[in-house]
Amino acid sequence: MKSSNSTLRLRLVTCAVVALVCLALGVLMPEFAVMQATSWVLYGLLAVSLTLVWGHGGIFSFGQGAFFGIGAYAYSLAAINFLPVTNETLSSVVVATLAAAMLAVLVGYFIFYGNVGDVYVGIITLAMTLVLFTVLSSTADPKYHIGQAQLGGYNGISGVPPLTLPLGDGGTALTVVQSYALVVLVCALVAAGLYILLQRPFGRVLTALRENELRTQLLAYDVRLRKLIVFATGGAIAGVAGALYAAWAMFISPGVFGLSLAAQVVIWVLVGGRVSFAGAFVGALLVQSVSFALGGGAGDATPIVLGVVLIAVVLFLPVGVVPTLTRYFASRFGSKAAQMKSSQETDSGIQRLKELPFQSHSRGAALTAVGLEKRFGGVRAVQEATIKFEQRGVHCLIGPNGAGKSTFFNLLVGRFPPNRGAIELEGRPITSMKSHDRVRSGLGIKLQVASIFNDLSVRENLWLAAYGRLRNSASADRRSAELIDWLGLEERADDSAGLLSHGQKQWLEIAMVVATEPSVILLDEPTAGMTREETARMAAMVRLLGQAVSVIVVEHDMEFVRALDVPVTVFHQGSVFASGSLDVLRHDERILDIYLGRHGKEHAA
Amino acid sequence: MEASTLGWVANMAASVGLSIAILVLVSLGLSVLFGMMGIINLAHGEFLMFGAFATLAGVRSGLPLPIAMVLATAVVAGFGWVVERALIRHLYGRLADSMLATWGLSLIMSQVAVYVFGPTTQGIPTPGGSLQVGGYSISVYSIVLILAAFALLGMVYAVFTQTRYGVMARAAVQRPQMASAIGIDPRRINALTFMLGAGLAGAAGALLAPMVGVMPTMGEAYIARAFMTVVVGGSGVLTGAAAASTLLGGVENVVSYLSTPFFGQAALLVLAICLVRVMPTGISGRLRRKL
Repeated sequence: MKSSNSTLRLRLVTCAVVALVCLALGVLMPEFAVMQATSWVLYGLLAVSLTLVWGHGGIFSFGQGAFFGIGAYAYSLAAINFLPVTNETLSSVVVATLAAAMLAVLVGYFIFYGNVGDVYVGIITLAMTLVLFTVLSSTADPKYHIGQAQLGGYNGISGVPPLTLPLGDGGTALTVVQSYALVVLVCALVAAGLYILLQRPFGRVLTALRENELRTQLLAYDVRLRKLIVFATGGAIAGVAGALYAAWAMFISPGVFGLSLAAQVVIWVLVGGRVSFAGAFVGALLVQSVSFALGGGAGDATPIVLGVVLIAVVLFLPVGVVPTLTRYFASRFGSKAAQMKSSQETDSGIQRLKELPFQSHSRGAALTAVGLEKRFGGVRAVQEATIKFEQRGVHCLIGPNGAGKSTFFNLLVGRFPPNRGAIELEGRPITSMKSHDRVRSGLGIKLQVASIFNDLSVRENLWLAAYGRLRNSASADRRSAELIDWLGLEERADDSAGLLSHGQKQWLEIAMVVATEPSVILLDEPTAGMTREETARMAAMVRLLGQAVSVIVVEHDMEFVRALDVPVTVFHQGSVFASGSLDVLRHDERILDIYLGRHGKEHAA
Repeated sequence: MEASTLGWVANMAASVGLSIAILVLVSLGLSVLFGMMGIINLAHGEFLMFGAFATLAGVRSGLPLPIAMVLATAVVAGFGWVVERALIRHLYGRLADSMLATWGLSLIMSQVAVYVFGPTTQGIPTPGGSLQVGGYSISVYSIVLILAAFALLGMVYAVFTQTRYGVMARAAVQRPQMASAIGIDPRRINALTFMLGAGLAGAAGALLAPMVGVMPTMGEAYIARAFMTVVVGGSGVLTGAAAASTLLGGVENVVSYLSTPFFGQAALLVLAICLVRVMPTGISGRLRRKL
């Protein structure tokens, strides 16, 4: 994380150099070429907005064209009305940016806070684009006007004022070259801003979010809010691009909401590679100049060319054209490929189990569930579940399949709300809290499947976990170093977590849970898929954690439960059946009935 | 009841019914593909357009309208099979990529239609004339469309519950591994399902052809509404499509009636987005029905 600062510096310098080269070209090129180049640079900016939203935010948005269009329309309407008053149109660019961002916030709120699946995001944003097309196409009637500006229906708005500075009488419109310079400048600023943003903790959380949304949420990050911020930023960038485009073309029509532009944005990004901002500009430039060279924007054949490119890229180059080429040349000239480290099984996990991995201010808390009930349709998965978990120590939840213990666990985690009942953490109600808020209030959660961020390094995994709680980059650095030391994974700290062995991944995830400084730890079948030896070590680990905080374990493996030797609660048919030590419970005939399936009269139904 | 009141009611009922029926028609194929295969076919609108043009071509070559419609449906279904074999089968489990590829297909199809049929709007005369009820005239063909929508819903239900293919397809969508473990060939099932989805789009195009302008861009006019219906309906093929069509079609029609179609369209979008906030898995997710 130290080396990344120099990467950022390099990127910003490159950004500035490229911008200067573009400006120099603007002075040297003939005016018509500058005119053409301006639109291509703006398309690049539009592509950048998708790169941010899709490549970095993992949000599959087809709506960037729509935000571009909204920006263009808002600029046109504002400029036509404001220019006579203010003698400039720069404020209209601001208005347009805000309008696009606001629309993005509005739509994003419904999408992300409704927890809509990824498919739906694509469909909704595309449908939004198409509906805007229909709506703005049907504004031909003169009654549809905003101030001085007629919306103009299918024919759109002509006579849109160009970029104008408030100099002289009635303002001074920028020349072609000046407009180009301004556009290049805006692009450079946006790119620089994005590089800085992604370098900050926000960017790292975004990477985590893209890779494993659930885990990110369970590290106390509000993923919905972050997605909304990314989506709104993307909308704003598309909006600026749209505003500058309308000023450049001095005309705007509903055509910007057509499928063709929406598809082009995706193609530019696919060609340039999904995560590279520079690639977005290259992609737009490449595709647009090729289709321009094919003759007047490729004429009628444009949609066919676009369609073929889309299909070809998806089938043959799923990572993008520019990255594929880069990779090809890189391997051709054998630069870096040899450095790949093989995944060696260095069994290092947890040598120093004696020391507690917690910081001093970590303390246990009591978790209480009162009368919890969860129904799925007609099935009562959990009913009348009341359990009090002590401030410290380990507590096991057992029961046969379908007994309701997993549902109960998920109620504690906050995956879904209970139909009735309450959950309290240290006397404070958390029943209606989302998972990430529960984690922030001190609940540490490890799900059954090891869900770590495979593509991030071990250090980054732990850093994210620590930062979620500490909200301070420097302390998170220190904390992750401590935990790497505790895990005994110093050697592999900068390897991708995905290269670790199965057992090591489980330890890493436990360390991540510990890094969130929980007062209560929830573990769902922590020994699933573990060897006998690993299971024994897990038991030692769980007992150790139980000395400091409250640990609640859902487990199938009776061997493990016996090894823990802690209080046990048995679930049966959705409710708490019995509690006590395993020794006592083992002599309970009814429990033998449940486990051996000997149906007595009382549960013959 | 006075004759004019009766006429008004009949007219309103036919108009609302028609809005709903059109939504059912245009979204059913999309809904089958989404619910059964988890594929969003962005070329759905162009399949519909293809069905309309195939019907037009049939009628122009002298076939009676109903036969032209059936043939058109079959042609589009066959085309769907080809598309599945050539393109879609490479993209299962890659949702974003399958959307992009079908999008590419849609761009190609609509442009090819421009080359073949020209960019202008063409039409088939609407058959059936109109009924006079209390001073209002109701098009007979709109009643045919409403009945056809019901018939197609019933047919899809029958296919999925009564045929060997239908049972296997439902099994394959619920537990793909188990299904192949008991000898169901998922490739064959997928090809058939895609064919069915394409055929339903073709049938929708064929049925709409006599009522609307047939043109290469007609797919775009319906696709947004079809998407909204599927989003609101969720993955339940029939319950979702039927319930969402009723709700959205009803609201669109009533708002259009009270103001202008401009607001009707806008109301549909706003309602759909709000419903998604409340029911992220759609109406059928709320009902927990898979068909």
